Amino acid sequence: MTEQTKDKKVHGVVAEYTDVDSLMAACRRIRDAGYKRTDAFTPFPVHGIDDALGIKPTVLPWIALGAGATGTMIALAMQIWMNGIDYQYIISGKPFISLPAFIPVAFELTILLASFGTFFGMWALNGLPRFSNPIFTNPRFDRATDDTFFLYIDAKDPQFDQAGVERLLGDAGGEQITAVVDDDTPTKIPRFLLTAIVSVIALSMIPALIVAKMRVTTSDKPRFHIFMDMDLSPAKDAQQTSTLFADLRAMRPDVPGTVARGAFDGNLDYLTGIDMEELSMTDAPRAQRLVAAYAQGDDASGQEGGDDESADSGDAAAQTDKTPWLKYNPLDVDMDVLQRGQTQFGIYCATCHGLDGRGNGLVNQRAQRILATAWVPPSNMHDPTLYQDQYPDGKLFSTITNGVRKMAGYASQIEPEDRWAIVAYVRALQKSQNASLDEVPSADRGTIEQEVADVKQQLKEAAEAERQRQEEAAAKAAAEEAEQAEEAAAKEAESAEAENTEE
Amino acid sequence: MSDHAIQSKPADDPAFQLPSLLQGLTFPLIIAGVLALIAGAALGHFGVNPTFGMSVYLTSVMYVLTIAIGALFFVLIQHLCKAGWSVVVRRVAELMMVMIIPLAVLFIPILVSFTGEGVLYKWDDPGYAAATGIDTTVWGEKSRWLTPGWFIVRTVLYFAIWGGLAVWYFRRSRTQDETGERTLTESMQGAAGPAIIAFAFVTSFAAFDWLMSLAPMWFSTMFGVYIFTGGILSAHCAIALFTYLLQRQGALRDEVTKEHYHDLGKLIFGFICFWGYISFSQYMLIWYGNIPEETHWFYERSQGPFLSISAILIVAHWAVPFLAIMSRHVRRRPALVAIIAAYILVMHFIDIYWVVIPEADHAHEGLGVGGAVGVLASLVCVLGMVMLMVGLMLKVAGNTRLIAVRDPRLQESLAFHNI
Repeated sequence: MTEQTKDKKVHGVVAEYTDVDSLMAACRRIRDAGYKRTDAFTPFPVHGIDDALGIKPTVLPWIALGAGATGTMIALAMQIWMNGIDYQYIISGKPFISLPAFIPVAFELTILLASFGTFFGMWALNGLPRFSNPIFTNPRFDRATDDTFFLYIDAKDPQFDQAGVERLLGDAGGEQITAVVDDDTPTKIPRFLLTAIVSVIALSMIPALIVAKMRVTTSDKPRFHIFMDMDLSPAKDAQQTSTLFADLRAMRPDVPGTVARGAFDGNLDYLTGIDMEELSMTDAPRAQRLVAAYAQGDDASGQEGGDDESADSGDAAAQTDKTPWLKYNPLDVDMDVLQRGQTQFGIYCATCHGLDGRGNGLVNQRAQRILATAWVPPSNMHDPTLYQDQYPDGKLFSTITNGVRKMAGYASQIEPEDRWAIVAYVRALQKSQNASLDEVPSADRGTIEQEVADVKQQLKEAAEAERQRQEEAAAKAAAEEAEQAEEAAAKEAESAEAENTEE
Repeated sequence: MSDHAIQSKPADDPAFQLPSLLQGLTFPLIIAGVLALIAGAALGHFGVNPTFGMSVYLTSVMYVLTIAIGALFFVLIQHLCKAGWSVVVRRVAELMMVMIIPLAVLFIPILVSFTGEGVLYKWDDPGYAAATGIDTTVWGEKSRWLTPGWFIVRTVLYFAIWGGLAVWYFRRSRTQDETGERTLTESMQGAAGPAIIAFAFVTSFAAFDWLMSLAPMWFSTMFGVYIFTGGILSAHCAIALFTYLLQRQGALRDEVTKEHYHDLGKLIFGFICFWGYISFSQYMLIWYGNIPEETHWFYERSQGPFLSISAILIVAHWAVPFLAIMSRHVRRRPALVAIIAAYILVMHFIDIYWVVIPEADHAHEGLGVGGAVGVLASLVCVLGMVMLMVGLMLKVAGNTRLIAVRDPRLQESLAFHNI
């Protein structure tokens, strides 16, 4: 030990060995002597040295496992939250929470976090980053990467005693046993390095500053498009024209012969409201026409354009109507169907036919007001000729589908199922005007009677309230009148007085 | 270096000979195997139907064949990367890979099934396209590849390449036992690169032909890799298990250490992940694309008993062994590695079964696993096949040493240390 090192802090003691076997033997000796904070430095990996030094297996695998499992959980939770709960978005017809789609992301995040856990866990376990180690002060230590083996005992070891450790390392065949002392080179950062760091930081801010400046200034130059076709998509919007096709239409009509999904399920009775089996016996050509129209999908709605029975107006047509209409609604009518029918009726029918079906909707009211000459008033649903016995459900369905007189067909707007729901609702509407209490199931009668009583009570109260309001208004008016008269009289008296004083 | 100085025993040491107990089992296993194999196939044939009998037989053949080609791959890849650690277990893998030769003979009944017009492969039935309403242009293209004659030519080609490689490598390795020539190792290393490429093509096409064409209209470019992963995983398991059994009987006790089991365990762990990765990749793209011509294969495997088997594969073929062999403490205990290896070998059978048996229901009559008789037939048949193969392997092993005694890297392998 030289004089120079005497007053410096000792970090530990290092010894040199010339070959692996003597190093391993020395490792075992200091391990058996009970030293824990030890380290060996070799030019190449030496199998079994962990065991010789008594180094316990690392906990790094557990860190990696924990980090990996965290990644899996984060990925799954994130995707379930994002796609399943917070921003539900149907992708490829899959459920919102569909595990197979989440697995690739979960897999990637597992790998990513496990890698980070391993990498940074290794840093943490090794006390990195560490820019300087006191052992580097020993000039001979450079040979640890060349041809010499080093064994080091740290001064923080509870058993550390410099003289004893030096003796032990010497006994184990160590040479050049030296104390590792503090580095006495200056700790100040060199000026050139500081300059370089500052300039790099300054230079790296230039792009950000340019961006910031461009965001707050305006320019009269046209915008620069890096990806022209992404900024200005060549895709056409609805109703635009396109030169790609001879007819200049951007929206392409269906290819002949295509049938939209769900448009045709083979049940023609359901789609036409006609008993097709019977029709094929009584009027085969018409049945064939209908089958062809639906099956080929030429006209997805299958409207019978110009069909005389349904297009003709007047009672005469009804007399000659030989079409075997479906008598009853093919739907299982329940509350849901009726409510659906009510909604659809309200949307499509009530504008003309009125919410109550009496044929006096808003359109009709306006037509009457402006005295529209071509206006054909909408049917009153409560006309007995439109009742089930004279106007079967199938025919009503067909009327909604194909239209009648001035009314256009609604096949393209209303789904067949909804049209049947409307039929069911119209029947309920008709019933509502003529039903007697006896037709109501006995269980529900109480409710209806209660409702009727309530309504009557409300009407009565309303009438009473109105009467009172009118009386009050009358009384108030009378009182005001009296007051005004009094005021006028007072004014007159005043002015008369003033006149008197002037005079 | 005292740690590394392991002296190898003389080449004639009894530790390199097949233990007498196993030697005695050779012929009983072969005879019992043949009987059980025939009984299982016959039970499927008469107990369920001829198609089921052939399917059961194909399952058994493919089960052991995938392991054999996995062993071939193991040997090739060790030579390709000039691996030192694996020399002590390479002979065991070599014994497995030469089983490709008897398996080529055992494949003949499958080729003979073409005389029955669609007994096993639906596409061989002349009425198949008409009955299923397949577009004739599509079927015209498909049936150019799928004809019995061309199929047989390809099968012979596959076995010629695999079998040729297996025999060539086995012969050189055994010659080296006597002569110890380094040039033999060098020539095996030199051939390994092209051999791996040939192996990859043959394995993919064999999987397409023999297994994927069971569902003629289905296609998955991943399928060859999928079958390969199951085989290579099982080959590692079989090597670990067979080595362990040999050690229990007294052979190779000082040569194969826990370090080698640790490495085999690492590879098993890796290939478990790889199997899960490949099978999930195949499933997910089809599931996401959701095109009927692709999904029907998985749809059939989600019906009836096959749904349970699909679920079992996910949990028991991937999740359970993945967690079981994840820890190095497990991998460094040979007995535990052997138990997990045996378990995965059972799972590999379920995997192959799951590929083949759902296609056995040609008439779409809800055959499922063929009832208790069908399950029994499958188990008896595969048990017979395994016994036959182990018996034949012991027969070969009885005439050779259990370790490549003069391999130039034997010392490196003996001294192998993971840490």
